[in-house]
Amino acid sequence: MNDQVPVVGEERPETCRAPDAEERSLWRRVMDQFADHCRSRSLFVLHYCTGCGAVELPPTITSRFDMERVGVSPMVTPRQADLLLITGYLSVKTLKRVILSYEQMQSPKYVLGFGSCTINGGMYWNSYATVKRLDQYIPVDGFIAGCMPRPEAVQQVILDLMRRIDSGQANAWRDYYLDYDTYLGRQAALFGEEWHTPTDVVAEARHYGYFGPGTTGVHTARLKNYTEWALNQIPELLPERGRNEKART
Amino acid sequence: MRPENYSPVQHPPSHEYELYFGPNHPGIEGNYAIRVRLNGDVIQEAIADGGYLHRGFEKLMEQRLWIQNIALVPRICVPDPVPMEEAYARAVEALGGLEVPERAQWIRVMMLEISRICSHLFTFGGNAATIGLYTNMFWGISMRDLFLDLFEEITGARIYHMYITPGGVRRDLPEGVLDRLEATLDEMERRTPEFEDLFFDNAVVIKRARGTGVISLRDALAWGVTGPNLRGSGLPSDVRRDDPYLVYPDLEFDIPTEVEGDALARMRVRKAEVVQSIRILRQVIERLRGIEGPIRCPLPNPLAWNIPAGEAYTRVESSKGEVGFFAVSDGGPKPYRVHVRGPSQMHAVQVLERVLKGGRLEDVAQIMFSLDACPPEVDR
Repeated sequence: MNDQVPVVGEERPETCRAPDAEERSLWRRVMDQFADHCRSRSLFVLHYCTGCGAVELPPTITSRFDMERVGVSPMVTPRQADLLLITGYLSVKTLKRVILSYEQMQSPKYVLGFGSCTINGGMYWNSYATVKRLDQYIPVDGFIAGCMPRPEAVQQVILDLMRRIDSGQANAWRDYYLDYDTYLGRQAALFGEEWHTPTDVVAEARHYGYFGPGTTGVHTARLKNYTEWALNQIPELLPERGRNEKART
Repeated sequence: MRPENYSPVQHPPSHEYELYFGPNHPGIEGNYAIRVRLNGDVIQEAIADGGYLHRGFEKLMEQRLWIQNIALVPRICVPDPVPMEEAYARAVEALGGLEVPERAQWIRVMMLEISRICSHLFTFGGNAATIGLYTNMFWGISMRDLFLDLFEEITGARIYHMYITPGGVRRDLPEGVLDRLEATLDEMERRTPEFEDLFFDNAVVIKRARGTGVISLRDALAWGVTGPNLRGSGLPSDVRRDDPYLVYPDLEFDIPTEVEGDALARMRVRKAEVVQSIRILRQVIERLRGIEGPIRCPLPNPLAWNIPAGEAYTRVESSKGEVGFFAVSDGGPKPYRVHVRGPSQMHAVQVLERVLKGGRLEDVAQIMFSLDACPPEVDR
């Protein structure tokens, strides 16, 4: 427990990087390819339908088009899901929940945008309530054009995603760690300066080995201030914090 | 993890707790949330939390031409879009003084009734899924797909048709589509007894749905309930009969009612309505074979189409209840104001909040599905 409390101002290596494919040992390359192959054959879709594209998901999943035969199945919790389908337009209120769900998912994770609304606003290009471009706020692996996308199109994009996972090309989730500061800045510009999520993305970036120069910056510095503020707000944690600092000195 | 996640929250010394039900929840019909305060698993208070699907339709419609809004209105209600098109088109016709040709009127009735069957099949599947019966969901959705194929053949799209335009319909029926519709109706009738066995004679359904989410007739009238939910409480109220539009006066059909007002009664009403829709469709097929003529009255240049100043209110019986459009024109090329009266707003906010009180947590999703509320239409 003590180790999990982040200490403000602690010295850490500024960047860390997972080895590229050619730098890895043969054994690790083989195991990674095997893992990618397995991963692409068992995609669990998070059961969160944001807009009207959700109406074509039941036909895609059930008897007629039956995505379960290629290993795609709905999953009710973000922690166990691999694939987040953004099924249509996003209002600002929904985008907050989407980001919270996305950050709760375990890496590697994939995002597909349904319909024109996620690409450029689509039908609601001049609406005051919707978000026009999804890929400004979270990294997206693929888009389906059209309104509404047909079940065949949904199948096609999922098969394409499976092929890219299998060959190790579906790596949009790394961008979220490498450019977290930029993404957080855009989110804060939309939701306000107080915006923060319970997930510590910076620590996750270190964990996965994708802590780059773009991971921290002016926007993540605000989070640090928030952490210090929160530490002072919660009296139960203060003794632990003191103990932690004592252990360091 | 940041430390705030690990803070021990000081709960008040009480057996009551609050639970956020949705929006990331498979039992919820769409992107919608309910805050429930529970004592054990008995609901003390429920507060609907919408707004996840707000797009500002009424404002968007003021910024587009009258003809452009045809593409916008079906997106208000996703599972049942045709009544929205019909209500908007009739509002424009009332303002502009357009006369719809007879053949177009019959085609419109056909589209409205197919859409009603589709929507009821969707609800049938979803309602069963909330109490753990997934076979019904698979059957209902595969049956609905047969009707979606007909939609695709007639209009070119499975979900959003944009087929009904002011003054008629967009194009004529393809060759032989009436025969295929008849064959689909035969298939539907053949499978109706199977659906009956699977859902309405199912001990699980009867035990879970009987006495759940009861709305008395007095409450239903006070809360603004319309459509199958009101007929499930015992009042034979139907816009098709009370305020007839198109060619409904020429058609023979009954208005099914149940008196219990619970979730089972509402689903029974929907089942009987599907039978009535099939009966209407058979009459429509018979009449459409004998009617030839134009499918649309001549329209002016749609890009410079100024509707005369005035205001009109039209209403249509959708599968969810009464849909109303109030359109005001100031004589310009765009609407001055359009107000949408959707049935789901009443059902999913004020009715749901009151009906859930005293119910059980596991019945929340089932009650919401039995009210057949459509979250995109609640938020608009």
